[in-house]
Amino acid sequence: MTTNPAPELLHGTLDTLILKTLSGGRRHGYAIARAIEGATEGVVEIEEGSLYPALYRMERKGWVEAEWGLSELGRRAKFYRLTPKGRRQLTAQATEWARFAGAISRVLLTT
Amino acid sequence: MSFFNRVFWRPRVADEVDEELAFHIEMRTQELVARGMDPAAARREAERRLGDLGRMRTTLHALGTERNRHMQRTQYFGELAQDIAFTWRQLRKNPGFTAVAVLTLALGIGGTTAIFSLLNAVVLHPLPLREPDRLLVAGETFQGNLSDMSVGNYVDAAAGASSLDGLAAMNISSFNLSDGVTPERIVAGQVTANFFDVMGARPEIGRTFTPEEDRPGNNRVVVLGHRLWMRRFGGSAALVGRSIRMNGVSYVVSGVMPASFDLTTDSEELWTPIAFTPEQRVLHDEHYLQVYGRLRPGASRERLHAELEAVAVRLRRDFPKDCSHLTFSVHPFTDDFVGDYRTRLLVLLGAVAVVLLIACGNVGNLLLARGAARGREIAVRRALGAGRGRIVRQLLTESVVLALGAAGAGVVFAMWATRALIAWSPQGVPRVEQARIDPAALGFAVALALASSVLCGLAPALQLARSDVQSGLRDGGRGSTGGGFRDRLRAGLIVAEVALSLLLLFGAGLLIRSAIALQHVSPGFDPTGVLTARFSLPEAVYTDPVRESETLRRINDAAAALPGVSASAVTSFAAMGGGGGMNGLFPEGGEMPIEQHLIPSTLRLTTPGFLGAMRTPMLKGRNFTDEDRASGQKVMIVSAALAARAFPGQDPIGKRIACCEPGLNGGQDWKVVIGVAGDIRSRGPAVAPRPEFYLPMAQAPKDAWRWYRIFYVVVRTDRDPAWLADSLRAAVTTVDPDLPLFDVRTMDQRIGLTLAESRFNTLLLSLLGGIGLVLAATGIYGVIAYFVSQRTQEIGVRIALGASRGSVVRLILGQALRPVALGAVVGVAAALAAGRVLSSQLFGVSRTDPLTIAAVVATLIGVALVASAVPARRAAAVDPTRALQSE
Repeated sequence: MTTNPAPELLHGTLDTLILKTLSGGRRHGYAIARAIEGATEGVVEIEEGSLYPALYRMERKGWVEAEWGLSELGRRAKFYRLTPKGRRQLTAQATEWARFAGAISRVLLTT
Repeated sequence: MSFFNRVFWRPRVADEVDEELAFHIEMRTQELVARGMDPAAARREAERRLGDLGRMRTTLHALGTERNRHMQRTQYFGELAQDIAFTWRQLRKNPGFTAVAVLTLALGIGGTTAIFSLLNAVVLHPLPLREPDRLLVAGETFQGNLSDMSVGNYVDAAAGASSLDGLAAMNISSFNLSDGVTPERIVAGQVTANFFDVMGARPEIGRTFTPEEDRPGNNRVVVLGHRLWMRRFGGSAALVGRSIRMNGVSYVVSGVMPASFDLTTDSEELWTPIAFTPEQRVLHDEHYLQVYGRLRPGASRERLHAELEAVAVRLRRDFPKDCSHLTFSVHPFTDDFVGDYRTRLLVLLGAVAVVLLIACGNVGNLLLARGAARGREIAVRRALGAGRGRIVRQLLTESVVLALGAAGAGVVFAMWATRALIAWSPQGVPRVEQARIDPAALGFAVALALASSVLCGLAPALQLARSDVQSGLRDGGRGSTGGGFRDRLRAGLIVAEVALSLLLLFGAGLLIRSAIALQHVSPGFDPTGVLTARFSLPEAVYTDPVRESETLRRINDAAAALPGVSASAVTSFAAMGGGGGMNGLFPEGGEMPIEQHLIPSTLRLTTPGFLGAMRTPMLKGRNFTDEDRASGQKVMIVSAALAARAFPGQDPIGKRIACCEPGLNGGQDWKVVIGVAGDIRSRGPAVAPRPEFYLPMAQAPKDAWRWYRIFYVVVRTDRDPAWLADSLRAAVTTVDPDLPLFDVRTMDQRIGLTLAESRFNTLLLSLLGGIGLVLAATGIYGVIAYFVSQRTQEIGVRIALGASRGSVVRLILGQALRPVALGAVVGVAAALAAGRVLSSQLFGVSRTDPLTIAAVVATLIGVALVASAVPARRAAAVDPTRALQSE
């Protein structure tokens, strides 16, 4: 991973990915990291160091809320879940991303 | 569980961060081990992936702390919004309660705000002058009284006071402004060239005076006040450099002062250079200058005093006749300007604040009563987990919303009240017309609202939060628990309201008694049917004493000839108006005629008819006649007060008094006392008569034509004197068409003016006392009615057991009167202590007047009895069967 660094994430994309990950239900931080790695098939390797700050910021913005619960293995863990405000944010960002990606693709694929 | 965590259990941020990261690392390690890594290496790899753990902790800690703070705020405002919405529903459900509470508080808040806006305009607002703190008023003390300065003393003081940036002098005089439509008399200041610099004001356009213009023969220049400029010249800037005619002479307009320099509505409206002559500059007699000084930055008043005392020492030595006891005194201009209005307005503010306190008491009582009705609701909310703090906050929100609503209504009321107060306020209160509800007053109203909401809301809120859940639910909110506490709170309210309204009524009572005493004071003349008016003989036109006295005689004749006029006179001073200079009198047989032995007395230079027209009695001797001519024996009439002071225990008739002019060959100018007149209260009924004397107009001292340019014409009629004003004006015009009459008033009006201020204060304090009394009565009624409703059952039992209706009434009245009596005791003690603040406004009544105290206490107890009699009768009418069944 260090030898083959993942493509750098576009600004704000990490937030969108986290929101998307949480749209399926509550998860703790580690599970979010794993889900993103899995879903992008390792193409997008998230910088683990920026995951938690992003989560705390989104909590402050009211997009996600945290609660303590028990993990699958019976350990106390901090779970995050999407708020209605976060869900609206996800929709907006996803739309924006699709628009952006579409535009780039058109430029790159038409000769 | 999550609800519980979010609301009640939040781990410290540091623990949260540590635990979350530890969990992450552990999970990752397990994953890597599962993939076949050595456990120690797996752990290292997991930590490495997270990056710099120390920095991460710091970052997350900061983010987490900020997040918590934000969430607390959000939660607080969310709850606040809930509380306000809830309060709004509550208040709308009880429109009667809401209206009474809001209006009661609005009355108190609005009244207090209105008085504050007056205080702000008159006292607190800084004067629109440069560094007003450094501006001083200087004067002389004469026989213990402050007096104006003589020119000689002013000139020497100005030279000797090096702590000053300048010492300026002004002589208030007047001009007849005769160009334009109607001649008009304008109050003017003759000033030294440095006057405007010393005052700290610059002209709006043009310039002020140069030292060259402040010299005799050079001083035909004028600076206009803004008000006069706008009124008379339409605010035309082209006026500067042009000439206007004043007293029949041309003056060049050199500048116009800004509107802010019109310090009061009746201040002088134009200024000319005073231009002392060399003779005037060494004259130490004749004290008529108002003197202002500006303290040099860093200089102290003490040093200035020392410098002025050094000047005074010299003057006392060099001019023993005029200055034997001279001392100078200085005090801040602001004190002089504001006068005793600071105290008076503070007293009014205190009084209206007391009304606000009583209003708070009533609203507090209403909230208590409602709290009792809401006992069950509160208990339910407590049972559902709301903490005491939360409940108290909810209840306080309610009183804050009420009070802010009241502040809104109160500000509207205050706007109206401020305008009304300005309209009714007596003349001469400086800057009162500038009072308005400005941001400062608005802030004051909001602060009052918050203070009163805490005051009237906190006690009921705490009391409600005290009541415990179980019994609150069980009793169905009838609220018998905590009853003792609540009853004490209510009784305490009665005590406070009675004490406060007693304080107000006592103040009002003292002022009313003073007003009655003033009504019964004889002014020393019969004011009914007397019309007075003033006119000024301009120096530039009337230069010859013969022509002056001839004109005065003709004006008197023209006035006497008017139909309906039974007596008339022309005099240098009538009573209760401007004018009336002082002279030092030297009675025959006294000690050396140096200043300290002279008797300061007010001179009236009159035609023979004055005492007759005023119906002031001759106590002894004879009145002036037309036979008292310039060539004959010089005569004088003295007032009773002067006779007693000059010739104690002797017959003054035939005695001689020297005054007013030097005699032949440097000797005394003796005048023979031919009569003693009754005392006139020349400064108003409230001011004791001072020594006064009369000289016949025909024997006017030569200097008098310099002292007096303004005269009164006085006429007596059997009809309404106000009707005579126009014909009197016309009569004077036949003598000289350029002489405008001004200050045309009946004597009754003049007396009214001197009393206007005390009447205003009396009216206002009586009004406040009345409002306080009504509020207190409502409060007492409310509390007693509540007690009765709470004890219906008990009363039913008593009646069923044979208690008479009378004994029930007595029981209730007894319960009501105990706190009333306690409140009266507290109130009397407070009133005796507070009476001091009114003492300067009292006349003929002591500030601890027992009669007033007795009357006020009797009134309050009477009102309290009536207020509690209604619920007491209701109690006596209780039907025992119904009362017992109702449980």
